[in-house]
Amino acid sequence: MRFTTIEEELTVTKFKKAIEREIEGYFEEMEFDLIEPRIFQKYDEYVNSEHKQDSSKTVKVLSGNSRIFILRPDITINVLGEIFSKWDGEPPLKVYYNSTIYLNKEGGKILENHQMGIEYLGAEIPRGDIEALEMGTTIMNSLGTPFVIELGSSKYLDSYLKELDLNEIQKTELKDLIGKKNRHGLISRLTDYGLEESLLKDILDMQGNIKEVIEMAKEHEMNHSMKDAIEQLIKIRDYFIDGDLYENIKLDLSMVPDLDYYDGIVFKGYVHGNPNKLLSGGRYDKLTEEFGLKVRAIGFMIDMDQITAIRMGEKHNE
Amino acid sequence: MNKVTIAIAKGRLGEEGLRLFKDSDMEIVREENSRKLVFSDSKGLTQYIFVKPSDVVTYVEKGVADLGIVGKDIMLEEDKDVYEILDLDYGKCRFAIAGFKNECIKKKDGVLRIASKYPNYVQSIFENRNQRIEIIKLNGSVELAPLIDLSDVIVDIVETGNTLRDNGLEILEELDYISARLIANKASYRFKYNTIKKIEKILDVKR
Repeated sequence: MRFTTIEEELTVTKFKKAIEREIEGYFEEMEFDLIEPRIFQKYDEYVNSEHKQDSSKTVKVLSGNSRIFILRPDITINVLGEIFSKWDGEPPLKVYYNSTIYLNKEGGKILENHQMGIEYLGAEIPRGDIEALEMGTTIMNSLGTPFVIELGSSKYLDSYLKELDLNEIQKTELKDLIGKKNRHGLISRLTDYGLEESLLKDILDMQGNIKEVIEMAKEHEMNHSMKDAIEQLIKIRDYFIDGDLYENIKLDLSMVPDLDYYDGIVFKGYVHGNPNKLLSGGRYDKLTEEFGLKVRAIGFMIDMDQITAIRMGEKHNE
Repeated sequence: MNKVTIAIAKGRLGEEGLRLFKDSDMEIVREENSRKLVFSDSKGLTQYIFVKPSDVVTYVEKGVADLGIVGKDIMLEEDKDVYEILDLDYGKCRFAIAGFKNECIKKKDGVLRIASKYPNYVQSIFENRNQRIEIIKLNGSVELAPLIDLSDVIVDIVETGNTLRDNGLEILEELDYISARLIANKASYRFKYNTIKKIEKILDVKR
């Protein structure tokens, strides 16, 4: 944020810090401990890792002996690297962070994005899912603006695709069409593959009220993993259905997550009148295996820059 | 909360798009030759804003418009984070590489010079072709470029091929299929799901 007067800067900073303290307090109340990610990461390690973003977007730094480092472009992977180098998987670990990521943006500028979030390692199903989802929902609810949590299950769609006789490129293409909600594009591809009568033709209708969508899904034949995915969603439904925030959670089985490492529930949070997601997270058991230890894991992050702007806006309106 | 704003591309593509709303609740009446850029339907449920075609995607991505009607060519060029919910099945044409007859689009050692209004799209098409290219970004009359040796070939949208023929050029390779699309902002899609589904139905029947 840019300020024209020092008074304005101090006021906004104070306001922002108060929100951070509030969320930190909440995370600690939920028994999460603060972890501080490293700011520098080795460039070589980053480009060789499987889950890198576009590496041209990372901000590079040259050390004294001409080794290249990058400023952390993402927090989850960074924090997991630290944890798994010194944690043996027991007992469950609950950490939160309050930190900044750095990415190159157009015009030679550097994007600094302030994020807070949690990583819950050893988070069993469905307890961990419910806990993370409830925390995310609580934070969204505290913004004082109408909000929606979009809930999906990457396991449901992935398990279905796994059984199809298609190559990876074709599957990626289908997922891309589904993720873009591109009905005609999807149907035309399905026809090409002789899948026009498959479950995928209805997948874009499987969005909305959690209960109704689960009923829709049940009408289709499912393999073992898909049934599992639906079972998990039913547990989530049963937990939230009598609560005040049930209607704020919408299930979307056609949701394709932005990151490829999710392998269970995924969720995003939006507030009315703001085009960007403020919250995103999901289960990433599969990812932990790459750090040498397979554990159950779930996490989410919230975009503090946007959260602050929204709360400031609310304050002005009061 | 359920009022929907739709960004419409000025020009033929947008006009035809508006025709799809005819006889529905969302129809609008405009005075002839009006230069107004914002219109609402009689019930005030839908607002239409008229913008430059290449800006439609930006309005929708930024959420000032919930929906937009735009050509697939713009979608391929802009690569914005929006839902692409319907193929409206009009404004049909193709992206194509065009040039003089027998012009070779594989220049083994040399650089292929390509003039286009769609530099990002050209980049993506040639990314894995093992061909060095130079992209010359133009804003119009792209067919002129090979004639005056500004480029070897062009990449542009081709509907009938008349403009190409009149300038002595022909299609060397057909690329992506283009048509008008209904796009949606991701947050709006969730908040106004029922209304957007309704609009989807209206347009899907007409297409």
